Amino acid sequence: MMSEMVKLDAHGEMLLQQYRELRPTLQKLSDEAYDLLSRALREQGIYITAMEHRVKTEKSLTGKLELKGAKYKSIDDITDLVGLRVITFYTDEVDKVAAIAKRVFDIDWKESVDKRKLHQLDSFGYNSLHFICRLKTGGPRFELQMRTALQHVWSTIEHDTGYKGDVKIPREYKRQFSRLAGMMELIDDEFSRLRMVLTDYRRQMLALVKNGKLTDVPLSAETFRSYLELHPFDRLNKRIAAVNQAEIWPVSVMSYLPVLESFGLETLGDVQQFIDENCDEAYQLALSQLAITDLDILSSNTALQYLCIVYVLKHDGGRDGLKSLYDLINGESDANGMLADLMMEQAKTLPFMR
Amino acid sequence: MNVKIEEIDGNIVAILEGSLDTAAAAETEKAMNPLNDVEGKDIIIDCTDLAYISSAGLRIFLGILQSAQSKGGHVYIKGINDTVRSVFTITGFSNIFEFK
Repeated sequence: MMSEMVKLDAHGEMLLQQYRELRPTLQKLSDEAYDLLSRALREQGIYITAMEHRVKTEKSLTGKLELKGAKYKSIDDITDLVGLRVITFYTDEVDKVAAIAKRVFDIDWKESVDKRKLHQLDSFGYNSLHFICRLKTGGPRFELQMRTALQHVWSTIEHDTGYKGDVKIPREYKRQFSRLAGMMELIDDEFSRLRMVLTDYRRQMLALVKNGKLTDVPLSAETFRSYLELHPFDRLNKRIAAVNQAEIWPVSVMSYLPVLESFGLETLGDVQQFIDENCDEAYQLALSQLAITDLDILSSNTALQYLCIVYVLKHDGGRDGLKSLYDLINGESDANGMLADLMMEQAKTLPFMR
Repeated sequence: MNVKIEEIDGNIVAILEGSLDTAAAAETEKAMNPLNDVEGKDIIIDCTDLAYISSAGLRIFLGILQSAQSKGGHVYIKGINDTVRSVFTITGFSNIFEFK
């Protein structure tokens, strides 16, 4: 046992005994505080990297008491017996977590520190927000640390290399840590800034889609997904389904995005034009295939599939073009050659092929 | 229409034989129903001896796919002939299933 290796004075031993008696309560507190905060973060949609909780070990407490046991009158004065740590992706999320923690717990403001603000203008180092909290229902206090993933990496490495205590770290090496901390802070800020820029860009693009200004919107997974909310293929799907009074089975159309990109379509305006210019022929082709069957179930990407086939044929892609198209849609296979032959056979009678 | 379900190499394999037309659909659906209960294993529908598939057959396949996907499983279709493949294609379902 650590207390046997480290010599504590009578006061220290008394505090350690109080800790041993309190330990089951501390474990319960650690679990409860963790559950409360993780539930609140989940409800607010805060996506975090990690959340940890622990009760201080007897070994760690003994070390602390040996160094500064006289500072504490009773075990209640030690505020980090239970510790929670929330690690976020972005710096601004540290503040969001703090705002939620304020709502979930009672904060002891006299003891809480924003170490992010403690630095001098010309110094860098450990950046983290520490709250000393208590459950709203009372009980012992506990510490909540909030920091970004990069702050966590820095402080973990710094702690690992700097606080072993066996050798005093020379000033030049400490300075190297500070330089890295400055760089981490810069990277953290840049990530946050970049996220904000991208969020703004996304908002602008979605607004353009909603306002129908499609020619200004570059084609991407995100913009195509929001374009699909306008149901651009519904009309043609329903027209094709009407041939056999078919049910339309909803499936994702996103797998066709690489096909549209392979056609050189660069904006949603291009996609809209592609639909407008090919929908009549796509209907004719679908009609020629479905009318001779009694198939009364179609996937919701049927319209887009026929649009793509027509586009390839109109651009002189021929049999090889169709085979490449099916390779993109279905994955490469020799069977796609048979499908291309079948489609060529059906399509050659249609007016647009003459 | 014959349906045989076996476990082969850790996968559940349904071997179909005959023509899955509208008349055979109800009986086939009943025979394939155990596939909806498969968990933790992939399903292979062996269509090597399947001559034709109707809309009703497609609905059976789609139901099995939905059930498997909701449990994180895969459904592979093996050995389909050109007629069956073209049904999958003209109805737009060819890239919904994984073909072996």
